[in-house]
Amino acid sequence: MIQKKICMVGLFGVGKTCLVQQFVHSIFAARYLSTVGVKIDRKDVKSGDQDIRLILWDLEGRDGVRDVNGSYVRGAHGIIYVVDGTRRETVDQIFDIRDNVLREVGDVPSVIALNKIDLVDEWKLRADEEEDLGSKGVHLIRTSAKTGQGVEEAFQWLADAAIIHGGKPA
Amino acid sequence: MTAPRGLKPANGSERSSELDALRKLLIGPEQTRIEELSDELRSKDLSAEHIADVLPEAIALSGSSGDQLGRALAPTIDTALRESIRRDPREVASAIFPVLGPAIRKAIAEAMSGLVRSINSAVEQSLSIKGLKWRFEAWRSGVPYPQVVLKHALVYRVEQVFLIHAETGLLLEHVSARDLVVQEAELVSSMLSAIQDFVRDSFMPGEGATLRTFSVGEHTVQVEAGPRALLAVVIKGQAPDGVLTKQQDTLETVHLEFASQLADFNGDSAPFLPARPLLEDCLETVLTTDQSAEKRRGAWLKWAIPLLLVILVIAGFLIRSSMRWNRGLAALRAEPGIVVVDASRSLGGWSISGLRDPLARDPRAVLGSADVGNPSLDGDWEGYLSLDPEMIRARTTRSIDSLSRDLERDRILFATASADLDPAAIARLSSAAATVRRLDDLAATVGGTVRIGLTGRTDISGADGTNAALAEKRVNAVSDALAAMGIERSRLILHPAAREKPLIAQDSTERARINRSVSFNVARPGASSSPGGER
Repeated sequence: MIQKKICMVGLFGVGKTCLVQQFVHSIFAARYLSTVGVKIDRKDVKSGDQDIRLILWDLEGRDGVRDVNGSYVRGAHGIIYVVDGTRRETVDQIFDIRDNVLREVGDVPSVIALNKIDLVDEWKLRADEEEDLGSKGVHLIRTSAKTGQGVEEAFQWLADAAIIHGGKPA
Repeated sequence: MTAPRGLKPANGSERSSELDALRKLLIGPEQTRIEELSDELRSKDLSAEHIADVLPEAIALSGSSGDQLGRALAPTIDTALRESIRRDPREVASAIFPVLGPAIRKAIAEAMSGLVRSINSAVEQSLSIKGLKWRFEAWRSGVPYPQVVLKHALVYRVEQVFLIHAETGLLLEHVSARDLVVQEAELVSSMLSAIQDFVRDSFMPGEGATLRTFSVGEHTVQVEAGPRALLAVVIKGQAPDGVLTKQQDTLETVHLEFASQLADFNGDSAPFLPARPLLEDCLETVLTTDQSAEKRRGAWLKWAIPLLLVILVIAGFLIRSSMRWNRGLAALRAEPGIVVVDASRSLGGWSISGLRDPLARDPRAVLGSADVGNPSLDGDWEGYLSLDPEMIRARTTRSIDSLSRDLERDRILFATASADLDPAAIARLSSAAATVRRLDDLAATVGGTVRIGLTGRTDISGADGTNAALAEKRVNAVSDALAAMGIERSRLILHPAAREKPLIAQDSTERARINRSVSFNVARPGASSSPGGER
């Protein structure tokens, strides 16, 4: 059994914990509970014939003052950057966060989860801005932790990429 | 090269070309070679290549000829090392960790020998309720207090061992004690390393400092951090220093034996399967001192001993009481003239009823001489005549006594200065002879014979010699008469006392009358008193 460390990063309240809960337990809770420090969960997936155990590090959300905690992302085999389509600042800051993560772990497989796509009425991004987000070398997947749309896909894509990337992390 | 003096300048150029041609002819190849060499010397790249070629050989040569090169290089190497550490201390730490760890620890261990921890825990324990309990135990069992503390302090069990990849927090290998239900070892592993990160980031304890120990309830988690892996053990109870030492040793061994696997770890924990025995060794070493079962057995023993003593004491009392009862009953049953019909025993005392010959001993006296303590005794005793030889003998003895007293009260009287038996005296003698014969019969049943003493007396008148002869005559007369009545002379003891030991009476006439007599004295079988004339 191969294990891969996957980190969820992004601003507070973008739905990192909810994505993990949806992925691991198939549940969604509308109530917002702020994550302190880090929560760890796991889920077994398959990539081809290879069994993979994903160890999911759900990091506390960046609040605009503090950077993403470097210690937590160290050694990660994959990163999920979570942004909230109803809050433009979460999108604006994600590449700052990415620079920070890159310094710590190098260019490991990464996904941008453009989350909350169920909230169409409150959507703040134009189509060209979304395109732009996906054109910066990071795979973009539209997700909804509430409906589950795109969630499996995002984690599966990352698992596959981590296996292909293989070798020594960082 | 210049032209020699004296040559004409007018045709200088012509000469110069000639000389050049000559020079080419003479030293052309050499000149070309010189130009090539100077080119070579100017070219830096080429010279570095050459030096790289010859450097190892040069160093080897220099090393064999002396340590000059070492001295020359030392400052450079120092600088290089310092620079390397400044850039990334982890690399150097990782390289020397397997060597440095054991050396430092050995030195410290020898100096301290775990003394500090023992003292700390002893002081701690002596102030707690547990400590007081241990003190009581020490006092009760007579074992020195430090030994009691040690005994309890050693109760522990290493339940789980986690080998964790330092960088990713992923679980490399995990072992747990048998019968222990363990879930989500991967999550525990990641969480442990996340906690490490959290503590480090929150308190910024300085380079290399890590969270090493934390306690939850009766569990303690000890985390040893190496450059590439962490080894965490979960201990139930209070672990001695040995666990930590073992843990450090194991971590170092893992670093040494799995150096390349640790460096190349990409999420696949399969290469660390061979580390399992190492980790299991951590479990096994300390499982042997799991003493919880022994503790329970000890608690049971603690009460068993006083309980056993109480039981023994009660049993002792019961047995002694029962033995006394049996002994008492046996004594009563063996006693002549006593027949036990009914016997019972209660807390209040003994109740024994039966038949008792009037001549038999008092049952209380029988029990008193049978060593049965001092029980209160009641019960009814009916009179009866026992045919027990003892009782028969007693009864016979009483009859002999009674007949003897009758006979001894009797006396044969004589007239003044006479030794003749008058008819009244003859009648009395006949009665006395009958009594003697009955005494003989009785004496025969108890296996003996009676002898009859005859004491002859006189009154006080008359001369002594006359009286003595008279007394002898009177005794002989009685003895003759008794012999004639069939009483063997040999059984008669004659004692002519005359005026000695006279019989006493108030009146002098009466006194004279009763002393003119022969009286009887019975020597009973077995009686020691010699027949004599008290009367």
